[in-house]
Amino acid sequence: MAAEKHSMSMSKKKTIVNTISYIVLGLISVIWILPFVFLLLKSFDIGNTGVTKNFIPSAWGFDNYAYLFSSDCNFLQWYFNTFIIALFVCVIQTVMQFMMAYTLSRFRFKLRKPLMNIMLVLGMFPGFLTMIVLYQILKTIGLTGDNAVPGLILVYVASSGMGYYVIKGFLDTLPKSLDEAALVDGANRMQIFVKVIIPLCKPILIYTVLTSFMGPWGDFVFAYTVSLGSQAGMNVAAGLNSWLSPANIGSHFTHFCAGGVIVAIPVMILFLFLQKYYVEGVTGGAVKG
Amino acid sequence: MARVVLKDVKKIYPGNVEVVHKFNLDIKDKEFIVFVGPSGCGKSTTLRMVAGLEEISAGTVEIDGEVVNDLQPKDRHISMVFQNYALYPHLTVYENMAFPLRLDKKERVMELSDSEKEDAKKQIDALEAQAKASPDKAEKLLKKADKLKDEIENGRKQKGYTNDQIYERVTSAAKVLGITQYLTRKPKALSGGQRQRVAIGRAMVKDCKVFLMDEPLSNLDAKLRNQMRAEIILLRKRINTTFIYVTHDQTEAMTLGDRIVCLKDGYIMQVGSPSELFDMPANLFVAQFIGAPMMNTAECELLKEGAKYYVNPFGHKLVVDGEKAKALKDRGVESRKIILGVRPEHIQLAKKGSANSIPVEILVNEMMGSEYHLHVQTEDGTKLVVRIPTINLSEEERTHMVMGEKINIVFEGKAMHFFDPENERNLLVDEIYGPEAMQLELEAEAKAKANAEANEVPVEDPVPAEEEKAEEPKVEEPQVDIQEQEK
Repeated sequence: MAAEKHSMSMSKKKTIVNTISYIVLGLISVIWILPFVFLLLKSFDIGNTGVTKNFIPSAWGFDNYAYLFSSDCNFLQWYFNTFIIALFVCVIQTVMQFMMAYTLSRFRFKLRKPLMNIMLVLGMFPGFLTMIVLYQILKTIGLTGDNAVPGLILVYVASSGMGYYVIKGFLDTLPKSLDEAALVDGANRMQIFVKVIIPLCKPILIYTVLTSFMGPWGDFVFAYTVSLGSQAGMNVAAGLNSWLSPANIGSHFTHFCAGGVIVAIPVMILFLFLQKYYVEGVTGGAVKG
Repeated sequence: MARVVLKDVKKIYPGNVEVVHKFNLDIKDKEFIVFVGPSGCGKSTTLRMVAGLEEISAGTVEIDGEVVNDLQPKDRHISMVFQNYALYPHLTVYENMAFPLRLDKKERVMELSDSEKEDAKKQIDALEAQAKASPDKAEKLLKKADKLKDEIENGRKQKGYTNDQIYERVTSAAKVLGITQYLTRKPKALSGGQRQRVAIGRAMVKDCKVFLMDEPLSNLDAKLRNQMRAEIILLRKRINTTFIYVTHDQTEAMTLGDRIVCLKDGYIMQVGSPSELFDMPANLFVAQFIGAPMMNTAECELLKEGAKYYVNPFGHKLVVDGEKAKALKDRGVESRKIILGVRPEHIQLAKKGSANSIPVEILVNEMMGSEYHLHVQTEDGTKLVVRIPTINLSEEERTHMVMGEKINIVFEGKAMHFFDPENERNLLVDEIYGPEAMQLELEAEAKAKANAEANEVPVEDPVPAEEEKAEEPKVEEPQVDIQEQEK
């Protein structure tokens, strides 16, 4: 009897705790998702292209999207700029980070530890602290304004080696005896890296590709500074931001919302496509386990 | 197939930590040598220096007459099996085994297989027929045919291996190891024993001069280990090359090795055949490391009374007889303090009051199936381990093998080992090993150097330098002697 009473109170307690958790979580998700829903709804609003207080569009249509792809709008140019930047950065950064991580994980050389410490400390400074200096340097070599795209690629790629931590953490878990076995089998370091290590790094490779694509894809501060008002050099974030100036916001707010939705699409596709590798481990059976 | 010679090999880690000291060893062609010792004794480090995975701090490693210190592992013609298998998890068993062959791009002359020979013959016939049909191209075609004929006789020059050759090698190795049905699987779908076979297979497919194994069985469970041990013995017969095998398990060392190198703290403690190490351990360390359970020891005195020798362990005076007494006599050993060693399996049960019998009390009885391991205590408090086969014991005797029971034990003179309490060396073994040997060598070197300096002519002349060099081999003579005796 006592046990039953105890179990009843247990289940009651559980229900209460669950209810409270769900209410709190629900509230948080509403707060979190509201801006996205607002953005999505606004992108279909053709009643008024400016900022309005109504949540539900007064008139529905695809006019905002059509405008983005029309010839009187620079959106496609910005989109293309962003894509080029993100693609180059994604490839170069991934390669550099992997090589860096492999080197620091597998080789022992003088000043290895100090080097890692220095990079750790440097990484703690927010990137935009160096913005003015970088801008001046890029301006000197003529990579600002209309030429902002190569300039931005340079900026994003320049310090990419420093983001090796996560990959190194993963590589450290791969047994060194794999490298040694390959060495004995006749592979050189490059062959080991390409034929043994990279195939085993699929999850972390996907992660690196995604993060190094996302960085420049969504960057605003650097892109805004380096492009400095030049329509030809802007990325989407800087371009869309130009529609939010007091002069433009009245006529371009819903265009801005539609642009925002289109920017999100490739990233979503990328995530959906790659997420299964994200969780999948591939190291099973390498060593005793 | 190659002789491996390690000369004064040292391993010094950063911070001046010397883990292998002046390692000298001559491994004969096709010999199976086992490095055995407790963990941290430098056995794996030494093996890895031979493999080229660890830098050699000083000294030289020779494989087949070639100093390999500065060669990459792949250029040393070695194969290696790792303790944790180190299979490539993303490749199938077949690809794992084919991996070293695919990487090998060396140019070599390969004899044609029968089917290839037949193909070539057909091609020759076709070429000759063509040559007859079109005389203007005949010269070129006949040249081609001649080349094929030459290949049939002398073999074909090629870089690396063709896919067919790889297939042939991998499948034949898989057949030997009984893993043919697993060739398409990935390592994660295999059991520990199968993975170890794959690892051995990967090492087998390559043409290698030396086969290195770094504790290949220590990750397997006890039953599988026994099975694989037997298979390694068979494999060794089949491959017939030089093996260096590292283990911490003295059973593996005893069963596999032609010669065993027993190591401690980076020093060689003894080199010899399994029976030499077991019957004539050079020092107390080897005596206690080889054999399970460990050899019993007791500090006591060796007494020489007339022509007879006695020992007095646990307050009993026991006579030393047989070969051991003769050996002591031949060496002219006088009365002295010793550490007496007796192996547990050389102690027998005795009847109460019989000659040389020692009364003891049983502390623990471990039933091993075929034998008892009795942990006993003598009257003076010394603890001993005794191995008693159960087969000779009557039911009644077995009932006495319990805690607290008093029994009598006895051991013969030939089972006794005598060690010097100061340097722990066996009184009946001449060879000196370990730190002491190195000390002697260093002293000899210093002496030789001093001599050379004393002889040096003060005038500038290249001769003194040469003299010094000439002295060096002489200094190493004691070491060479030891090795000669080992052989």
